[in-house]
Amino acid sequence: MAKTQVDDINRSIYNIKNEDNYSYKMQKGLDEKIVREISSMKNEPTWMLECRLKGLEMYNKLEMPTWGPDLSVLNMDEISTYVKPKSELNTSWEDVPEEIKNTFDALGIPEAEKKSLAGVGAQYDSEVVYHSLQEDLLKQGVIYTDFETAVKKYENIVKKYFMKCVPAEDHKFAALHYAVWSGGSFVYVPKGVNVEIPLQSYFRLNSPESGQFEHTLIIVDEGANLHFIEGCSAPKYNKVNLHAGCVELFVKENARLRYSTIENWSKNMLNLNTKKVIVEKNGVMEWVTGSFGSRISMLYPMSILKGDNAKMEYTGISFAGEGQNLDTGLKVVHGAKNTASVVSSKSISKSGGIATFRSNVVVAPNADGSKSNISCESLMLDDWSVSDTIPVSNIGTDDVEFSHEAKIGKISDEAIFYLMSRGLSEEEAKAMIVRGFASPISKELPVEYAAEMNNLINLELEGAIG
Amino acid sequence: MENLLKIKDLHVNAGEKEILKGLNLQINKGEVHVIMGPNGAGKSTLANVILNNPEYTRTEGDIIFENENINDLRTDERAKKGIFMSFQSPEEIPGISVQNFIKSAKVAKDEKPVRIFEFKKNLEQTMKDLNMNVEYSNRDLNVGFSGGEKKKNEILQMLMLEPKLAILDETDSGLDVDAIKTVSKGINMYHNENNGVLIITHGTKILENLHVDYVHILVNGKIIKTADGSLAQEIEKQGYEAYREEKANG
Amino acid sequence: MEKVTLNETPRRTSKSFGINNYKIEDFELPEVKEFTNVTIDSEIEIEHDTYDFKPKFSIGNKLVNQLNNGNQKLYINIDKNVNEPIVIDFELDDKQNVLIDNVTIKAEEGTNATVILKYKTQNDAVDAFHNGVCNVTAKANSKLKVIILNLLNKNSENYYSMNNKTEENAILEYIIADFGGRRTVTNYYSNLIGNTSNNSVNTMYIGTGTQELDQNYIAEVYGKKANIDIEVYGALKDTAKKNFKGTIDFKTGCKKAIGNENEYCMLLSKTAKSKALPMLLCSEDDVQGNHSNSAGKIDEDKLYYIMARGISKKEAQKLIVKAKFSGVLEKLQDEDLKNELIEEIDKRLV
Repeated sequence: MAKTQVDDINRSIYNIKNEDNYSYKMQKGLDEKIVREISSMKNEPTWMLECRLKGLEMYNKLEMPTWGPDLSVLNMDEISTYVKPKSELNTSWEDVPEEIKNTFDALGIPEAEKKSLAGVGAQYDSEVVYHSLQEDLLKQGVIYTDFETAVKKYENIVKKYFMKCVPAEDHKFAALHYAVWSGGSFVYVPKGVNVEIPLQSYFRLNSPESGQFEHTLIIVDEGANLHFIEGCSAPKYNKVNLHAGCVELFVKENARLRYSTIENWSKNMLNLNTKKVIVEKNGVMEWVTGSFGSRISMLYPMSILKGDNAKMEYTGISFAGEGQNLDTGLKVVHGAKNTASVVSSKSISKSGGIATFRSNVVVAPNADGSKSNISCESLMLDDWSVSDTIPVSNIGTDDVEFSHEAKIGKISDEAIFYLMSRGLSEEEAKAMIVRGFASPISKELPVEYAAEMNNLINLELEGAIG
Repeated sequence: MENLLKIKDLHVNAGEKEILKGLNLQINKGEVHVIMGPNGAGKSTLANVILNNPEYTRTEGDIIFENENINDLRTDERAKKGIFMSFQSPEEIPGISVQNFIKSAKVAKDEKPVRIFEFKKNLEQTMKDLNMNVEYSNRDLNVGFSGGEKKKNEILQMLMLEPKLAILDETDSGLDVDAIKTVSKGINMYHNENNGVLIITHGTKILENLHVDYVHILVNGKIIKTADGSLAQEIEKQGYEAYREEKANG
Repeated sequence: MEKVTLNETPRRTSKSFGINNYKIEDFELPEVKEFTNVTIDSEIEIEHDTYDFKPKFSIGNKLVNQLNNGNQKLYINIDKNVNEPIVIDFELDDKQNVLIDNVTIKAEEGTNATVILKYKTQNDAVDAFHNGVCNVTAKANSKLKVIILNLLNKNSENYYSMNNKTEENAILEYIIADFGGRRTVTNYYSNLIGNTSNNSVNTMYIGTGTQELDQNYIAEVYGKKANIDIEVYGALKDTAKKNFKGTIDFKTGCKKAIGNENEYCMLLSKTAKSKALPMLLCSEDDVQGNHSNSAGKIDEDKLYYIMARGISKKEAQKLIVKAKFSGVLEKLQDEDLKNELIEEIDKRLV
């Protein structure tokens, strides 16, 4: 059967390029002077500057990863780590400068805010330009703000949790993040508060040859519940951009957090992000991840199941097209009794794209009664793409049920024939099978975002090859 | 009567092996045809080649549908012309619901959007007629369906897509008596003077409530005998042995 | 003494996962003396010749050099059908406690044969060192079964490599029992170069006491419609440790190839440790690849059921382990050999 052209993700919306109109753009490169300058521009407390300097020290000390995609395209001397947009933080879209507002309009953020979100944060380059939270959540004590405000206004809480989940020593790019972080979100959900409607932060990097290093810190206190959505995109430039954000999450006893990510960086982006959660007793963490963009991604959300009965679920899909090397997966540590992890990962690779799944499941000797179930499925759409599955398990007790299974293959000719026998063209048949393959993940997203994802997997139904 | 399908001197290979060796068949509108024959005779090959399954290669002969030679048409083009096949083992497709699938197929065939409300009502009624649980319309296509449920789902698709020619490839095999009755009922619901039915079967149970116009015996890649409906009963009693000899002698 | 790194995986992972390779801090090559405790039972003549072993994935230069200058060099050229298995028995004792064997098996076109290589120690106290390699070339349409039995005691050091090439239509079947050695480093490599060639590996391993096992199974699939099957079953007890690394690498062009890999580890003690990395690498779309691995203790309900019939917990455990191994044991197709291995299992799981 002829090969079908399954088109790349349609990025026309994401490719809106604004002029590089900043109020301040840091000189390229990274040294102590630059780090001190960022800190002083933000008028930070001394302890935060110390965190930054510690990050810088570790960055200089730690080696580049000895595994995974080749990162030699990255030259920190070519990256500007701080770009301040020509906008202050606003609480009304009307006040956001028109050019920036237009970008977020095109991305559908204000529209989604009206329809389906309880709060929104919007970051443009290095700073957050818009933030909002529904009145009733404010009244219940929910905090949702940009990270700079949080450092000043909620200094005690931030100081207690900052860098405690992801230490600077974690890896080189976590260290880099701490040295130059800017922007991001802070969320605190008080005990027992159920945030029924999701909050969303959107990160947009417009400035060429720059980096985005937002810090997200979320604390879901005992018995509380939150769904947080993170979106990110950037227009395509010829030179490399860098994203090294850091997400620190704390799920307290009996609390539940769902963290959904739709990542659609442009294909010149190196996405070297760090995400980690610490889950206390009876807590539940849910990761929902769609990775569509970037030139290189290295992203492995980690879950520390610290309290008894803590649970983690991971549902993820990655779509590696031409020129993309998406190295994604997860890590989980079962550190207490009766902890559970359930993982469902899917990948699609086409047009020479490389999709790699990596995982590391550690079951500590004291984690009796733990269960871990990992399932991976990879779809190859042509014979010059690559799909690798690299799952590690490290089991330290006998009282455990661990299982892993993975499947790799192409769309079966029989399935295509079956659909074609009902009148669908070969291209429609293939597209339908691919969408069906991705549907367990799109089902996990709120309706509007599922629609966005279906747009992202916008499969070209033209250009039949005989 | 108006001609629907005409097959002339059809030779078909599966890989290197010749399976159909000069088959002729004509089906007119309003007729019900049955093809019987021993295992390996080429019955399923015939069904699949009419829909251009890429597993098989036509080496000689013609397939003419409504007076148009469809030799070079793709599977989907043939389906859009109005040919339908109920698969012997329907594929499981995760992530696509029965309802959405039938809707997509209907849109592809009719080349216009369906009216959702009307479509849903029609689908639910048809499912009820076929003793199917209506909730199945939201389940993934054939995934986790039992053998009987899969076959009923095929008949459901036939009724919803309203083809001109329905080919039923051993739809009755592996089904219990009740399920076979349901399938027969579905065929009766579908059949009218403007369409044709081609039933490929081993048994006669499925034929009990149907009016059959012709029974063909297919042996070793050729139709060696054609008669009226009573031939099916004869086969049921005597098997194919006699016809094998008949062929050898003839 | 020196530090060596063995059994590197084809793809690296984070160092902190501790599975990229197997490091030995106090490695020391023993003096190689004469080794004569070999019994050969074979219809065909076996030459004392050596084939230069050049592994694609390094097992350490020192070990490779040693193998190419071993004290047992055997060249088995199967040029006709061999009805009875060719059995080669190596026994290490207090005097001859160092065995460096380089065995080459060449199955000529269309031949059919079975080769059994058995490694054992005379008693539990022998301080043995074994470094061996089995080089196999299965020519077109040949059918070869290789049975590797590591029945060394728990005092021994054991380094073993298998290095295979399967040509068109060849069927190469491996059955491996990895039971012995305080440290057992097993390296298996297959190059499925021939179209429709078939390689299956069935392994059972046991680790008790302080035994450490590091297993690195790698299959590279080049041939169209080639088939690779890796099945590994194991049981770990006491403070035994095992790293299983298995890789099926589908290379561009191996259309319609099928690869299956499955590892199953039974944990019989709380303190036993199991690490696994079953990799699937794929640069061809028209393939089917599956892998799975699982680890856990023996099903309590099964244990209870057996114990309810008056059998002790220990015996019940053994029964269940043997039941899990039964698929591999049956493949031996030799009752005596099967019984010998069952006895070994019983002895080792005391």
